[in-house]
Amino acid sequence: MSLAIETRDVVYRAGKSFELRDLALRVPVGAVYGFLGPNGSGKTTTIRLLLGLLRPEAGAITVLGHAIPREVPRALARTGFVPERPHLYPSLTVAESLRYHAAFYPTWDGRWAEELRERFRLDRTRPLARLSKGEMGKLMILQALSQVPELLVLDEPTDGLDPVVRREVLTALLDFVAQRNATVFISSHLIHELERICDWVGVMDRGRLVAELPMQSFKNGIKRLRVHKAPALAGDTPFVVLAREQEGGFAETWVVRGWQAPMGQYFEGVGATLREVVDLDLEEGFVELLRTARAVTPGGI
Amino acid sequence: MFRVILYTQWKWSRLPVALLTVGAFLVPLLAVQGTGEARGTTAQAGQLLAYVGAMGTFFPLMAGLSGLLVGVSAWAADHRAGHVYALSLPVPRWQLALFRLGAGLVLLLGPVLAVWLGSQIAVTAVEIPLGLQGYPHLITLRFMLCTLVAYTCFFAISAGTSRTAAIILGGLLALIAAQILLDAVGLDLHLLGTLLEKLFFWPGPLEIYTGRWMLIDV
Repeated sequence: MSLAIETRDVVYRAGKSFELRDLALRVPVGAVYGFLGPNGSGKTTTIRLLLGLLRPEAGAITVLGHAIPREVPRALARTGFVPERPHLYPSLTVAESLRYHAAFYPTWDGRWAEELRERFRLDRTRPLARLSKGEMGKLMILQALSQVPELLVLDEPTDGLDPVVRREVLTALLDFVAQRNATVFISSHLIHELERICDWVGVMDRGRLVAELPMQSFKNGIKRLRVHKAPALAGDTPFVVLAREQEGGFAETWVVRGWQAPMGQYFEGVGATLREVVDLDLEEGFVELLRTARAVTPGGI
Repeated sequence: MFRVILYTQWKWSRLPVALLTVGAFLVPLLAVQGTGEARGTTAQAGQLLAYVGAMGTFFPLMAGLSGLLVGVSAWAADHRAGHVYALSLPVPRWQLALFRLGAGLVLLLGPVLAVWLGSQIAVTAVEIPLGLQGYPHLITLRFMLCTLVAYTCFFAISAGTSRTAAIILGGLLALIAAQILLDAVGLDLHLLGTLLEKLFFWPGPLEIYTGRWMLIDV
């Protein structure tokens, strides 16, 4: 599998309170990789490490085959970046900002930038300081896409945008991915949004990557089971039991990972009855995953 | 690339640069006011030189102000966004810093050329008393060097983090506090005086600011 982003044993400390440990990301070329995690879990720090904005204390980072931070300019020339907060110069107009940005990227597609500008209804003469949050979000994504990057790194690109703008931005993003087969690394709190567009998912918690797997496995692998007369001790299960909850009487709810249909036979073997298998959506799966990760080791897995 | 960097810096500092350019043009013209009445006696020539010298103090002030404003505005927009944009551009940091430095130098040509033009007009428009002569090129050269010193200092300080600025400011405040303390206990130690002496007298880096700035002299 060819990788667009690879990190090995990356360590980074920010003061005494936060530490990123043993970060080992593997983002396949052409993937739309959703980067999930609660606030303060290290998503933005990871993105800054990937782009050479921060330097790791240990470990190796490779972006599009370039070692970071040694070859940062080469990697950045092929990478579009939309940060969490607006970073463009507010005193410039939209047209000036586009001209400024274009000067740094030989791959800049001016015609497409103009098409996107019209599609996003951004006034060329308007200063960035007078753009609304949604317009600023659209301009940032416009600039990143018009570079025609091989890799797009998006840090909460739709955070705080209204649903209409969010849809416009995501549509432009998906058009781009479909046309150019680019890799997208996108961090977001909006789990349902990632569920629709991502084919890989990585989950951060307390500075560690607690899971990295194809979206399909993530969605299908975590189930809620309704069990009747469950054994007091689960013993050797063919799946991972993430949580057990009493529901009254003999009924219990189990949250399991790595579930496949034939595994239902396990319950017959232990004298229990499997009443129902419920698919969890990404958000529920995410919450259960974090709960388990924290239960295994208080500081993470 | 340099062109767009120059354009952004022009946009950020065009008002102070324009005002400084006008000011730099006017200072030499004002410095030679009264030359017409000083044709006669030595005493009048002496008065003229004193007036030119007094007006000459505006030259280092303008130079320092030009360097300060252009130097600080070079990084102000980046500071506001935590330098994320500048650092995510695909150019080595040294190259971006060099381009920004160069763009500021280009902008500072405005006040420098204004001093040269104003000085040229000033010394040709008035009748300089016998025994005295104008130094338009020399004063321009000195103004340029002063501007350069101020600009590079403030550019370097402003390129640093707010922590760097805090360390420099904290150092200065500590020195002032120490001086007040020394004066209070009656110790004959002049920390501030020594520092200023080291900075402003040869071979101090700011020596160029001191001395007489005479557009017309003997």
